[in-house]
Amino acid sequence: MSQLRAALALYRGHLLTYRRNRTSIYWILAFPLFFLLMFGYVFGRGDPEAARFVMPGLFTITIISGSVFGIAMRLVTEREIGILRRHRATPVSAVAIVLAHGATALTTLVVSMTLQLIVARILFKFQIAGSPLAFALVLLLGGAALIPIGLIVGSIARDTRTAPAIANFVFFPLMFLSGSAIPFMMLPGWMQNLARLIPTTYINEALQAVVVRGMGVAQVMGPLSVLALTSVAGVSLNGLLFRWESTEPVNPKRLMIALGGLAALYAGVYFFAPTLGMATFRPPD
Amino acid sequence: MTIVLEQLRKSYGETHALRGIDLVIPQGGVTGLLGPNGAGKTTLVEILEGLRQRTSGRVSVLGLDPEQNGRALKQRIGVQLQSTAMPLDLSARELLEMYAAFYPRALPVADVLKKVGLEAKAKTLTRALSGGQQQRLALGIALIHDPELLILDEPTAGLDPAARRALHEVIREFHRSGRSVILTTHYIEEAEDLCDRVIVIRSGEIVADGTPFDLVGRSEGASTLWIAVSGPFDPRPLEAAGASHHGQEGTHHRFTTRDPAAVIVALGEVLRSQQVTLTDLRMKRPALEDVYLELVGSTDAASVLESST
Repeated sequence: MSQLRAALALYRGHLLTYRRNRTSIYWILAFPLFFLLMFGYVFGRGDPEAARFVMPGLFTITIISGSVFGIAMRLVTEREIGILRRHRATPVSAVAIVLAHGATALTTLVVSMTLQLIVARILFKFQIAGSPLAFALVLLLGGAALIPIGLIVGSIARDTRTAPAIANFVFFPLMFLSGSAIPFMMLPGWMQNLARLIPTTYINEALQAVVVRGMGVAQVMGPLSVLALTSVAGVSLNGLLFRWESTEPVNPKRLMIALGGLAALYAGVYFFAPTLGMATFRPPD
Repeated sequence: MTIVLEQLRKSYGETHALRGIDLVIPQGGVTGLLGPNGAGKTTLVEILEGLRQRTSGRVSVLGLDPEQNGRALKQRIGVQLQSTAMPLDLSARELLEMYAAFYPRALPVADVLKKVGLEAKAKTLTRALSGGQQQRLALGIALIHDPELLILDEPTAGLDPAARRALHEVIREFHRSGRSVILTTHYIEEAEDLCDRVIVIRSGEIVADGTPFDLVGRSEGASTLWIAVSGPFDPRPLEAAGASHHGQEGTHHRFTTRDPAAVIVALGEVLRSQQVTLTDLRMKRPALEDVYLELVGSTDAASVLESST
């Protein structure tokens, strides 16, 4: 209970810091809007019907970038300048710190997404065809699945110079294989199979189903459970890899356990995951 | 007992930062750890704080082992680390509120701000505070949960004398309530002013331990006496008592001696037998700084030799 109180206090501190920092405002507001305009006008040619088809991809990219970039940098920065070291001299636990960072990332994600939804509504008369509740669930569970990945990047990156490199290294496969940047059916068969290993594919899949095909919660239970599973795995891996100080080495044994766990998870998803509707679905011309 | 250390050792590979420290610190009092850079002071206090693991030996802080009962211990000790790191975009009040939430019980933030003299800066962002104010805020964080023991690592490093004095006042105030303070410092005057016990560490070992007064008394250094008398006088009886005469500086004869008491007794004799009157007597005893330099003066050279063997 006391750790929850500590996590809330840290979360409040993050939000206050965010509000006072111009660069972070840029990442939450300007960057998502830029992508919205690019997708809407370039890929969707400003046409409302076409815009709706590109929106799921855009939202997926927003979730990925919001989960991977900022959070990794914040964690590395706090470790590098010694804020985590100072926390370590108090009773606060690693779990509380990770929880607070995760909550901050999820909050900024929701803000970015809400902004995109509002502007898309105004410019492209965009509307979610399916259940808004299902949409909210995909957003929250998608964030919950990807944010631990951002935290892991933050835990293994040596310093603030290597963190963006690793984050990019993680970001691009997550984006390109998800079907968000390149329509899924344009990927070759083997790559579609590979994409089934990637959690972001399930975000894009679920968003396609809800936003374009008008489905509800019941129809996207498959992808949602994959996301929930990824989230649980990611959070546990965080517990293994969290470091308080930059001088602390990444424990190689724990890293191996983490990678092994991930491999097992992805193998399981590969064999048991629901078939991807977007692989067969063709939008009307 | 606030702290009990038995044969505490810490090694980083081949480098031995602490080489078997035995130390008992009873409750109450301000204990200063003094020593050159790399002597092991920070390693020692960070083991007490539970931030570092020892290689061997026994450690008990407030009856707890920092490695076994870290969380319980951290609720009871207040800590200031050597380099202050805090979120710069939070105000002093917000920062203290955040740290207060980490503890089951905490003092009201307004009280702590007052204690460290930052009431007027409550709404100022940390980045806009001066170095001294940031150090005071760091001390405020250490005090927020009303700890039983304060462990401060160079709390006044880099501060001007006024800021340092302000910080000393806060530390004294804490100590007045009967609780213990342990601090490391580079400043001899700080140890002399603030500490009732000084422990000098050199190359991971305790080389001196006592009150500042005791340590000065143990010095091998000489005292200097300046003596002015009404007429010409013969200094030989004073030399016989162990003083060396260094000639006159204006009206004063300057002597140095390791045994000033014997020289002053001899001086009484001289005044009587040579029929002169004493017009002025000044004396300078060796300071803690002289003692300290005697103890660690050659450290840098010595520690290089020791670590290479």
